[in-house]
Amino acid sequence: MNFRKMMAIAVVAAGGFWVVAAQAEETVAWWDFLGGGDGVRMKQMISDFNAAHAGKIKIDATTLEWGTPFYAKVQTSVAVGEAPDVMTYHASRIPLAVSQDILEEITADDMSKMGLSASDFAQTTMGAVTVDGKQYAVPLDTHPIVLYYNRDLLKKAGVLGGDGRPVGMGNKEEFTATLQKLKDAGVEFPLGSVTADGNFMYRTIYSLVCQQGGELLTGNEFLAGDNPEKLARALAVLQGWTKAGLQSTYTDYPATVALFTSGKAAMMINGVWEVPTMTDLAKQGKLFDWGAVEIPVIFDKPCTYADSHSFAIPKNKGKEISPEKRAAVLEVISWMDKHSLFWATAGHIPAYKPVTETAEYKAMEPNATYSTLTANMIFDPKSPKAGVAGPIFDIMSNYFVPTLNGEMEPGEAVKSIKEELNSM
Amino acid sequence: MLRNSRTERLVALVLVAPFMAIYLLAFVYPTVQMFRISFTDAPLIGAGRWVGLDNYLRLDNDPMFRRAVWNTAYFVLMTVVPGTLIALLIALGVSRLKGRFQAIVLALFFLPYILPVSVVYLIWDWTLNFQFGIAMHALDWLGIPRVPVFKSRLWFLPAVAGVTIWWTAGFSILLFLAGLRSIPAEIYEAAALDNSTRWTTFRRITWPLLWPITSLVLTIQLILQLKIFDQVYLFSIGGRPNDNMVLVYYVFQKAFQQNQGGRAAAVAVTLFVLVVVVSVLQFQLLRFAERRRR
Repeated sequence: MNFRKMMAIAVVAAGGFWVVAAQAEETVAWWDFLGGGDGVRMKQMISDFNAAHAGKIKIDATTLEWGTPFYAKVQTSVAVGEAPDVMTYHASRIPLAVSQDILEEITADDMSKMGLSASDFAQTTMGAVTVDGKQYAVPLDTHPIVLYYNRDLLKKAGVLGGDGRPVGMGNKEEFTATLQKLKDAGVEFPLGSVTADGNFMYRTIYSLVCQQGGELLTGNEFLAGDNPEKLARALAVLQGWTKAGLQSTYTDYPATVALFTSGKAAMMINGVWEVPTMTDLAKQGKLFDWGAVEIPVIFDKPCTYADSHSFAIPKNKGKEISPEKRAAVLEVISWMDKHSLFWATAGHIPAYKPVTETAEYKAMEPNATYSTLTANMIFDPKSPKAGVAGPIFDIMSNYFVPTLNGEMEPGEAVKSIKEELNSM
Repeated sequence: MLRNSRTERLVALVLVAPFMAIYLLAFVYPTVQMFRISFTDAPLIGAGRWVGLDNYLRLDNDPMFRRAVWNTAYFVLMTVVPGTLIALLIALGVSRLKGRFQAIVLALFFLPYILPVSVVYLIWDWTLNFQFGIAMHALDWLGIPRVPVFKSRLWFLPAVAGVTIWWTAGFSILLFLAGLRSIPAEIYEAAALDNSTRWTTFRRITWPLLWPITSLVLTIQLILQLKIFDQVYLFSIGGRPNDNMVLVYYVFQKAFQQNQGGRAAAVAVTLFVLVVVVSVLQFQLLRFAERRRR
């Protein structure tokens, strides 16, 4: 055999092998926006998935910038047929996505292929990914905001209850008194708040509106009836805390977390996604004794804003997903949901009930302490104008920074918000 | 040798064709589309219904658009002339230095210009962070209350203007230096023989001979600052109040955040016309000023 012949055989053999391998392994292009402590957990889950499906399915994951950049990129990529095969999606954005026709429907057939059923999820969560009776995503988790606290500082100021939780969680006066006691005990910022980031404060303020039974969207009208007063009252409470020096002013997101973890702020209202930050620091022995509970009731009833990370399949224009690829994507989604016990270590509450019903999950801290709040959750209004980084979110959050820091009166802000929302 | 004008034309065409093709594809075509979309109610992606002048008529009664125009003008006012003057002063200083020392000083002034805008943003955001910035510790030390520079309504635009001047002055300085070097030394010698004072030398020689450079810098700066976006966007991360609204930001907000492509296009067309009108007007004014001086 001469050299040339040998090479030819080698090339054919290699090529043939490659074809076999390509047929056997399906690569799933994946986009997410999980850049924080939860992103590290998700990367771990992806590599576990890949290890468990070696030779069959491989996830090729890309993490993109959260918020407007992510959603703008999804829209443009779908329009030109360059979208990923699967992506994380906020449930609150689904009505907008459906109006833009960028998501594939998840059919009952898909659900049974994944071994999932609608009854495996809480009704509110399932409702959030459904538009006009059609399902457009599979929820992975719910992620509310919670109140983080520093037990050492609270104990020092005498506001730590016998159950290891803060006292004064029942109404505005009580909670303000708790904050005041912390201040009197020499704590620089009783409450660390993201007062320089209206996007973030949207979650807290929407919770406070809901605690008064208010709603943002009634039929087609924004802030109808007495809802403007309810929004103004929510803003006034927060502004009052700033004016009394009870919460940090003009503080951006990273600085808020830093104020809390460094012990300058005794409490912090933040998303459950900061849980990994705390557990990791505590593990290294760099954090005080900490806890997280449902946010206080400031008005009439407990209510907490929540959203859900879900998985959606983009409707790629002119480049429809093949049945094989779709089957692989469904396997990815199904596996992620069924293994979401690990996702709970990122702080989130898994959406898949069989996971949250396990003894292991029920014993998990601090999730167990705040998981009661699922009964009091409220999602964004169901409208194509709602959703993370969507029109309502954007317009409202623009007015929060000046109001919370005392540069604008709550009434003035609410009037402008109402005008702007209704003239959209 | 006789020139074949047909071959000449062919060669010319071949040479400019690649540029023209890209120009048509990447500039003219999108511009035409922008005008077309501005008459529809299109979302960010996809077509919309024809709505005629609706998008433009709504601008007339839109407080946010008015604020964007005003803020853009305010920003231009704070950056264009002051930035040019600062660059001129620095260039006059640097031109007095000699040799390697001059090169080092010039490099120091030029350095910020090579930084990408995101790095500029991070440097200043860290320096002036309300809770943890170094500058705030300096204020504490001096006993002055902290100022939330990039977070308050009052300070935001002036602060961004300052950062912008710091960032872009290097290029203007370079242009001014080139201009200063092109003024013949003999003229200064003659002036010195005539016992001309420093001020007279500057007013009668340097300033008039530097005028073409000055008007160039002013024009470049004007067009650049009318299109201000990156810095305002970055420093506004987290939903700054609409008080910071500038025109390009408004286009971004309408298109990408509120999913209103048609209305965004109408604002973009308005800005496009504004840039053309203002820069042509300024260019004519500067030419007029130059002619009158002769």
